[in-house]
Amino acid sequence: MVSDVLRARVGELAARVYGEVEECLGVLELTVNYPDAIAALTGAKNFAEVPCDFLHDLCGMDLGDHLEVVYQLSSLRGPQRLRIVARVERDNPMIDSATHIWKGADFLEREAFDMFGIKFSGHPNLKRIYMWDDFEGYPMRKDYVIESHEQRAVMRVRKEGE
Amino acid sequence: MTIEKTQEYSINIGPQHTSTHGVFRMVVNLDGEVVTKVEPKIGYLHRGLEKVAESRTYTQFIPYTDRLDYLAGPHNSLGYVQAVEKLMGIEVPERAEYLRVIFAELGRVASHLFMIASGSLDICGWTPWSYCTRDRERILDLFEMTAGNRMTMNYFRIGGVSHDVPDEFMPALRSFIEDMPEMSEEYYGIFFGNEIVQSRMKSVGILPQELAENLLITGASLRASGVQYDVRKAEPYGIYDRFDFNVPVLYGCDTYDRHFIRLLELQESRKILQQALRDIPEGPVMAKVAKVIKPPVGKVYHRVENPKGEMGWYIVSNGTTKPDRVRIRPGAFVNVQMLPAIAIGWKIQDLITIFASMDLVLGEVDK
Repeated sequence: MVSDVLRARVGELAARVYGEVEECLGVLELTVNYPDAIAALTGAKNFAEVPCDFLHDLCGMDLGDHLEVVYQLSSLRGPQRLRIVARVERDNPMIDSATHIWKGADFLEREAFDMFGIKFSGHPNLKRIYMWDDFEGYPMRKDYVIESHEQRAVMRVRKEGE
Repeated sequence: MTIEKTQEYSINIGPQHTSTHGVFRMVVNLDGEVVTKVEPKIGYLHRGLEKVAESRTYTQFIPYTDRLDYLAGPHNSLGYVQAVEKLMGIEVPERAEYLRVIFAELGRVASHLFMIASGSLDICGWTPWSYCTRDRERILDLFEMTAGNRMTMNYFRIGGVSHDVPDEFMPALRSFIEDMPEMSEEYYGIFFGNEIVQSRMKSVGILPQELAENLLITGASLRASGVQYDVRKAEPYGIYDRFDFNVPVLYGCDTYDRHFIRLLELQESRKILQQALRDIPEGPVMAKVAKVIKPPVGKVYHRVENPKGEMGWYIVSNGTTKPDRVRIRPGAFVNVQMLPAIAIGWKIQDLITIFASMDLVLGEVDK
């Protein structure tokens, strides 16, 4: 259940980052636009009394007309949880990286880049993580066409020094 | 006087290498024997399970979840079915809840045993390997007599478990629980108390608490770095709030502690198994659930304490029979980031023990 303190803190934060708050199955969800994402994350990390200071998960979402980056925040020292959803444009998906807040966001952001093509500016090493480097397309997007191996004719080209 | 240096060179370890526990690959830069940089390369076992989930119904996806952390199959499915149940508001019968806990904990014991076994194998200890796998085999026998499969059980269903356990299951489980203290003593004697093990592992690969939290490490590795956090206690799922057990925590932050905490967790799993065996009621094992699973529109994030780290399930339903998005947050995948952070400055043989202490399984890392 959401505590009143957390609800008040999220309300204050939402006013500051122009976000909307809703509750979904006992978890507060704060939706912001991508320029405000880092401000929202930093704000949530520094909540008084109920800091949501552990980035539990970061993932991409494809909503058709736009993409989303979903941050699941929790804490190692309390029951508070918060979900921050950052809306990202579909044509040129750019968002600031969270790696300077949590170093561990590195792999999670690389995965979101690999699967959805979301570019995290400020990321130290933004490369594909699961797929190979010259893979084309972003597999988790809804418009990605699943074809057989033969049709797609994907070739792995070995590079010098690999 | 100029100090002469050897030229740095990089070598490739894996994906086909015995000490990478699967198809993990790392490119290691070395200065003599000393590691200067490690770059993990993953994805050799990537099966695109998240994409697969979007074209399957909710029930059809359950067998795939076992293939994530294949050394502890039941716990992955537990996270998934509980997330869907949370979304639909399904009440699971008591007996099914207890059976789930029993199998989840047995999976944890099997996984920890295998971790100790393979950890010893990485420093050429063959005997602990055979002791641990001998006892793990008894757990796999329990799985086999129930579900027919040794590792990927496919036993949990949305709303309960697929069928009740056979009659010979409970006596076999009881005798296994009775033998557990003796087993732990044996592992301590042959592995943890061993002088070679201690000199190879103690104060190697230090992962300080702040770094662990910043790298988002979860699970036993976090607890070996001095954070007493366990989802089973902090946010109990299923009926874990009914059991009386402790969360072991160690402050050594080194390779040895990351191994040793598994031995301590075996004792706690034994307590849970004992209590579950004592309290398990008779009754149905499946709730009344519609044949066609159709959760209402909504989002749910559910996390469970997998043996390898915390696993998160983010399921977005659009009201049809197939999910809009199934996001798997594998603990082991995030824990890989520990390796480049702590292996620098250690010799290459220490890199192998540090890698073993991370307890990765590539099915979970690569999804």
